[in-house]
Amino acid sequence: MDQGCTRRQFLKGTGLATGGALLGVELLTQSRGAVVGVARSAPEGGNPLLSVESTLYTTCLQCHIDCNVKVRVADGVAVKIDGNPLSPQNLIPNLPSETTSLEEAARVDGKVCPRGQAGLQTLYDPYRLVKVLKRTGPRGSNQWRTIPFSQAVEEIVEGGRLFADIGEDRHVPGLRELFVLKDGSTAEAMAADIKKLQAGAMTVDEFKGTHGAYADVLLDPEHPDLGPKNNGFVFMAGRIEHGRGELAKRFVNGAFGSVNFFEHTTICEQSHHIAYAHTTDQPTVKNGALKFEKGKTHMKPDLLNAEFVIFFGTGAFEANFGVTPMAEKVTHSMRARNFRFAVVDPRLSKTAGKADHWVPIKPGTDAALAMAMVRWIIDNQAYDEGFLRNATKAAAAAFGESCWSGAGYLVEIQDGVPGGYLRADAVGLGSAEQVVVVRDGVPVPVSPGDETAVVVADLDAAVRLNGVEAKTAFRLLSENARGKTVEEYAEIAGVDATVVETLAREFTSHGKKAVAEMYRGAVQHTNGYYNGLAILALNCLVGNPDWTGGLSQGGGHWHEQGDKEAQPYPLADLHPRALAAFGVPLTREKWAYEKSTLFARDAGYPATRPWYPFTSNVYQEVLPSAGDGYPYPIQVLFNHKGAPLYSTPAGHLQVGIIRDLEKIPLVISCDIVVGETTVYADYIFPDITYLERWGFPHPVPDVQSPVSPVRQPVVGPLTEVVEVAGEPMPVSLEAVFLAVADRLGLSGFGRDAFGPRMHFTRPEDYYLKLAANIAAGDHPDEAVPDASDSEMQLFQKAREHLPAAVYSWERWRQALRPEEWAKVVYVLNRGGRFDPFDHAYDGDRLAHALKGLVHLYMEGPGKGRHSLTGKPLGGTATYLPPTTAMGQPLEAMEGEYKLITYKEVFHTQSRTIGNYWVLPLRPENTIWMSAADAAAAGLQDGDEVRLTSRTNPKGEIDLGGGTIIPITGRIEVRQGLRPGVVAVSHHFGHWGYGSATVTIDGQEVPADPRRGRGLTVNPLMLSDPDVPNVCLTDPVGGSASFMDSWVRVERVA
Amino acid sequence: MDVMAVMDGDLARALRKPMEERAWGMVIDVRRCIGCHACTVACKAENKTPPNVSYNVVIEEELGTYPNVSRRFLPRPCMQCAKPPCVSVCPVNATYRRPDSVVVIDYEQCIGCRYCLNACPYGARYFDSGDFYTEGTPRGAPHEEAVTHEVAAQPGDTWRRVVGRESSPVGNARKCHYCLHRVENGALPACVVTCLGRARFFGDLADPESLVARLVAKDGIARLKEELGTEPHTYYLL
Repeated sequence: MDQGCTRRQFLKGTGLATGGALLGVELLTQSRGAVVGVARSAPEGGNPLLSVESTLYTTCLQCHIDCNVKVRVADGVAVKIDGNPLSPQNLIPNLPSETTSLEEAARVDGKVCPRGQAGLQTLYDPYRLVKVLKRTGPRGSNQWRTIPFSQAVEEIVEGGRLFADIGEDRHVPGLRELFVLKDGSTAEAMAADIKKLQAGAMTVDEFKGTHGAYADVLLDPEHPDLGPKNNGFVFMAGRIEHGRGELAKRFVNGAFGSVNFFEHTTICEQSHHIAYAHTTDQPTVKNGALKFEKGKTHMKPDLLNAEFVIFFGTGAFEANFGVTPMAEKVTHSMRARNFRFAVVDPRLSKTAGKADHWVPIKPGTDAALAMAMVRWIIDNQAYDEGFLRNATKAAAAAFGESCWSGAGYLVEIQDGVPGGYLRADAVGLGSAEQVVVVRDGVPVPVSPGDETAVVVADLDAAVRLNGVEAKTAFRLLSENARGKTVEEYAEIAGVDATVVETLAREFTSHGKKAVAEMYRGAVQHTNGYYNGLAILALNCLVGNPDWTGGLSQGGGHWHEQGDKEAQPYPLADLHPRALAAFGVPLTREKWAYEKSTLFARDAGYPATRPWYPFTSNVYQEVLPSAGDGYPYPIQVLFNHKGAPLYSTPAGHLQVGIIRDLEKIPLVISCDIVVGETTVYADYIFPDITYLERWGFPHPVPDVQSPVSPVRQPVVGPLTEVVEVAGEPMPVSLEAVFLAVADRLGLSGFGRDAFGPRMHFTRPEDYYLKLAANIAAGDHPDEAVPDASDSEMQLFQKAREHLPAAVYSWERWRQALRPEEWAKVVYVLNRGGRFDPFDHAYDGDRLAHALKGLVHLYMEGPGKGRHSLTGKPLGGTATYLPPTTAMGQPLEAMEGEYKLITYKEVFHTQSRTIGNYWVLPLRPENTIWMSAADAAAAGLQDGDEVRLTSRTNPKGEIDLGGGTIIPITGRIEVRQGLRPGVVAVSHHFGHWGYGSATVTIDGQEVPADPRRGRGLTVNPLMLSDPDVPNVCLTDPVGGSASFMDSWVRVERVA
Repeated sequence: MDVMAVMDGDLARALRKPMEERAWGMVIDVRRCIGCHACTVACKAENKTPPNVSYNVVIEEELGTYPNVSRRFLPRPCMQCAKPPCVSVCPVNATYRRPDSVVVIDYEQCIGCRYCLNACPYGARYFDSGDFYTEGTPRGAPHEEAVTHEVAAQPGDTWRRVVGRESSPVGNARKCHYCLHRVENGALPACVVTCLGRARFFGDLADPESLVARLVAKDGIARLKEELGTEPHTYYLL
């Protein structure tokens, strides 16, 4: 077929006979109901591991798919992990909760991926920390002593000359020193006025006039929008999921009053989320103005019913979100029905290796390919015109759609530059709550959410109204797409132009059952957001949202935070005396530079460092910003499970920052093992793993029926049990929060934390309330049944091995109202709450649908400006070449290879190197090089080479103090890789996390060489010449660039 | 697409028959295998196999030349041969084919001579040298020393590998037994239930109504090294 299109040579040249027969479809439709039950006639006294008493249900966290699992426990030891058969994420179709006995569920196992299976080795990692460590040498020396938990809490709260014993003559600020704004009403008033300041409705002088008495609580009274001194406390999380995430925000934001809470999303796929969110932002009217907000951050193809899917920079068989639910849908579909798929990836991933089309584009040119397809689709009028023209909710309903489109909305053009959607009041046509469309050549005002007025808009229109120039979103996309020919786009992407037509033709030949899917590979680039927009434009053009076989928002979940009408515990409200955290975040996220007081102070553009008004959790910026003290210095860093030095592109540059006692006076970590970043902590609090604790993750949007998994302790804790305000509990993140809150008298924790006589003195006081919310359901009459008496007994019997520090029947019951307990037991006995699989579809529609507006134009970035260049960002899907922060293009140089990364299906980014069962599958990673390149360079399989880059010319990680790690690895020659590209997986090349010798209480804990094998290429990724201590970054989506760098390959003599 | 329910039903029917009337077999759909290795790791977890003992492996291959390249993954459990070369070489009759077609090793009889390792043309047998994954690390891991329920001689057998103790199965040959300890208790083998691509099918080949029997009757069915005449009960669907 076309260039890069492969398949069906498979089995050639092997010892196997070839042939081809599909599995009969009839096998795939038989219902389980007819057969389950009879299968359960096992002999007496059989395998005890299949018994209901030894099975506890919980939720995995070996990756963020959060699979729903059952754990077999024998003699208090977790011995096997299987999929929860009640969950559609882990068994298709899932056993129906209502009619499946727990005995039956215990015997039927769902699927779990290899790293999920190996989760026991995260739990029982021999390098796990069990007691609190305090460093006894310089930061990073890996010299520690164990200290009592209570002492550690006292020291981090009170501060002082904490390291005088090792010769550090300095005062270390404690948390008490930063906890200066304590009064909830003062904080609320200040936060409200900061919003006014931000909106230009208040001046700094006016703010000072109002809040002058509290000037001393601010970081800088001249710049009150930097917030209170409380913001000197910064919390960063490598992986924190729902349940714990909200609890941590309760502590950091509401209790401590710091705005600085960060997750790691920008080193994963954040630009993808932002592109999705903007594309699906919904209209709301506030104070007489129309806004678009609260879009869905993540959607997925309905893989069981789609007929053609293009995976951009991802696949279904590795990584993504995620392989466990997705893979079977693809393998089933390719065998049993009319399904075809393409994979756009410079590397022949496992998915690409089985695809109908492999399209090995040049890295980072996804938008070039997608825009070429957009152009072809528009030129050939292959788009779904009816869908695109529906301008209101009523129009969608009238024409059999549940979503409608902003394709016909007019966008205001000033000086040739598109800005926001034109509001009807601006041209005297209507109100500020309305946009304007052109209907049969006549401009008319439209309320996007209008449920009665059927408005069908002209797609391709340009008008001048009362002197205002405007074009439809569709016109802007069309003009942009036509800025280059298909051939020019194809040239950029490095594919034959016929590939564009092949893909575009096939994509538009399946009605609404074709989907363009994307993930990390397409967006971890400086142009990631716009790559995402271009890919999502393809979905808009075929009008696939909400259709069976189309683009799905997923089945969703019951809301554990209690914000729905039927739920007993609205946790956000159950926080008396909460502080309103406010101020510019350390990473300048969710805040426009122009709307800060620093804009005037620093004379406008360029900002000292980039600002990120359209995104959040800009992880790679946390430490470098602290290093520069911009926008303000920080005092205390709390790093929970974060590994930025290892996991971030050019993260090695952060070594110098985190070592610096001036730049970050106190570093606290909470983690299970001493990792590459944890090693720089002053104190490490051991954490408990996902199998020892609570959590309430949300399901993946690939799952089309509602799922609310619950994570709960299934074995006793391995960390030390300590007393926190009289309650025994394992040292953990929760214990640290409770103990610090107790000592500082923070709101939201401890006695009366949720309200009068509603105490929060143990983790389950919080978490069981989330379970009660799920049990109640979002709506009245949605509650789960009560657990029967025998189920109540089973609940207790299955937990006999759990120590009082984590489980007590009586104590758990006290966390809830009496009538809630039996329902919560019902939920916990099943590891959550799950709808039957057949609730996913409503004929040709997805039952759980977006039912909303989708955009072809994004007015946020359309109106936004780049914080360094001051230039407009732009709201239309487009291809942009990779650039530095100041917009300087990055060009290839002679002798360089483009570096891309990928993830093995049996690892996650940085935390699976201690999973010994998976290590033999690939004891170390390699440097994939195409056969053509290897031949040209005279390299062969297994040759050892060093990699270098422009900003890491020596190819090394300099940890200071003379410790230098060379970046070397072995060549693996592959056919399945685009020439000019080298590919290296993550996961390997650790210099911590069990691969470094640790000294605790004078005893050396030797390293395990298995955990240090292979190489990490993150340190080779370019630091930004315009912001030299951080990697290249997408200015809109905030994604860290993992795949815009080049490397040189030098043979090691 | 509820093949799992179909197989559960097949299993239930088979278990109602006398053991000697069952013929356990497996079919692996090579196209559906995505190379995730979940089977391999699930097997390790289920059977607590030590380093260098892996009842199941998945062989990865890249086929073709750029840009016409594809990938293939070939899982390899024990073939459970009807004419197993490994059995005849055992000097103490420790390994034998059960009436239900599964080739097992009686750990109490095995003397660890390893003749069977050499005799197996599929490389599906391993020697348990008594290693542990956490050897040389600061702490052992309790799951490595957990009791397992392999049916190595009699149903209900249990085994426990303990650091520093040389008793069986340490010092024995080891191999895939189709998870008989699960199967005979009404649960499908660990590799089958966890297969992410749903590429593995298990059941009673003696039951013409079973899924595996129906698959084996289809075109495109193959067995590894057919020419050796070992007559495997593990089949591949191509």
